[in-house]
Amino acid sequence: MIRDITVGQYYASDSFMHRLDPRVKIIGTMAFVVMLFIINDVYSYAFSILALAFGIYISKVPVEFIFRGIKSILFIVFLTAFLNIITTRGTHIILKFGIISVTYEGILMAVKMVVRLIMLIIGSSLLTLTTTPIQLTDGIEILLKPFSKIGLPSAEIAMMMSIALRFVPTLLEETDKIIKAQQARGADFESGGIIQKAKSLVPVLVPLFVSAFRRADELASAMEARCYRGGNNRTRMNKIVFNKNDYKAIAAIIFYVVVICFIIIFV
Amino acid sequence: MSEMIKTENLSYEYSVTYEEKNKTTTKKVLALDNINISIEKGSFVAILGHNGSGKSTLAKHINALIKPTSGTIWVNGYDTKDEKFIWDIRQSAGMVFQNPDNQIVATIVEEDVAFGPENVGIEPNEIKKRVDNALNAVNINEFRKSVPSKLSGGQKQRVAIAGVLAMKPECIVFDEPTAMLDPEGRRDVINTIKKLNKYEKITTVLITHYMSETVDADRIIVIDDGHIVMDGTPKEVLTQVDRMKSFGLEVPQVTEIAYNLRKNGIDIKTDILTLEEMVVALCRLK
Repeated sequence: MIRDITVGQYYASDSFMHRLDPRVKIIGTMAFVVMLFIINDVYSYAFSILALAFGIYISKVPVEFIFRGIKSILFIVFLTAFLNIITTRGTHIILKFGIISVTYEGILMAVKMVVRLIMLIIGSSLLTLTTTPIQLTDGIEILLKPFSKIGLPSAEIAMMMSIALRFVPTLLEETDKIIKAQQARGADFESGGIIQKAKSLVPVLVPLFVSAFRRADELASAMEARCYRGGNNRTRMNKIVFNKNDYKAIAAIIFYVVVICFIIIFV
Repeated sequence: MSEMIKTENLSYEYSVTYEEKNKTTTKKVLALDNINISIEKGSFVAILGHNGSGKSTLAKHINALIKPTSGTIWVNGYDTKDEKFIWDIRQSAGMVFQNPDNQIVATIVEEDVAFGPENVGIEPNEIKKRVDNALNAVNINEFRKSVPSKLSGGQKQRVAIAGVLAMKPECIVFDEPTAMLDPEGRRDVINTIKKLNKYEKITTVLITHYMSETVDADRIIVIDDGHIVMDGTPKEVLTQVDRMKSFGLEVPQVTEIAYNLRKNGIDIKTDILTLEEMVVALCRLK
């Protein structure tokens, strides 16, 4: 059934990583991604791989689950590798086809880029695998709060995200209904090429959009009737609180960043 | 008893623009025309009317979602035209809408119930207490951690009621809350509404076109074409079978049977509204 689809790719479990404050996880992921772009030598690569492996270990997410995410970007990984091999200039030429030369430096660069890309994907999917979309929204709301001073509507952005999440199953169900209604009247969604298939979706999308707008209008009235007036004076029932594990995780993140910086500066 | 809602010469007009033969015509429609009612605190009032009679327009006035074109409506003593009191009005008069899906905001049931109190800036601990009470009052506590899309229509509608209850309103306006529900969900919701009126003393304005839901009301108001055409107890209103039909409304099945029996010369009283009364009346026949 179409309505069983979940948003994102959350892996339900109760690991150390799952129980962390979403803010800590978001900041950790960001720190990791930034570090990935400045690491350059073997030691920092090795340490980053180690750190990532440790992260996977404490998240208790099965490894095959994690690597499933890489499959979809395999093409980009190979393309990057290929472009790096043929475009990097170097002195140790291994092969030569006309103006294109494969060098030792090129291969090294390609390997580095591939490892970097794979770590990037795994690192960020670790965040979405261990954090529910709701927690993620809450985390983003609090992290964006300081920016509301310069006019960023952080509470409204979070509200929009959570409403979008709320209506995903509702709209999926509706799409299912519309498709069935059209099929009952002889519409064909299965045959034909990709363009034909895309065209046959138009009669599904039009009523879906109309109904989405009607829902939005009604939801706006309902929110107004319940005293919604923007995010400014709102309180929250469930406040996210830091506990001991969160401090441990922050210490680990700081440790990782410091070690990487140390390697880059002194090695 | 004091008044919860009072209107004085309340009128509401809107314009409809439509195209016909490349000509745009704007027509003014009078949805409500000089409505004068007062609804007492703690009472259970049902408002009946066919589609387009103006009953939903009246409901939206009570929550200050729309403002009168002319005349005045006071909700809990506040004039809805005064912007200052708009949040007080919306807190004291909550509203439950027809489509349960389109009024649930949050992704988790208890978070949705907390939405109203969060909006008015109540302390987290107080919100928790209110959410607990509201969920218990509509008997949906077991689903508090559920995702709304996994609930049935009746359960979703009860979540919506809990969301309004958490605001601690004195009055709740139900705008056809059962129109999209199956019979079981409809029964659950109606029982919840009746319970809230009886035990929590919440003034209830129920807009519906299911006659059977109005039988237990203190008072029924029938609206037709923007006018109040009938106003009285269920016995006074629902038993006027011919008049009700002239406004495009049905009467409860047993009332109609009694009416037809009487018309065919059987000596039965015609103020029968429920099945139980019908059984008693039939047994007394010789």
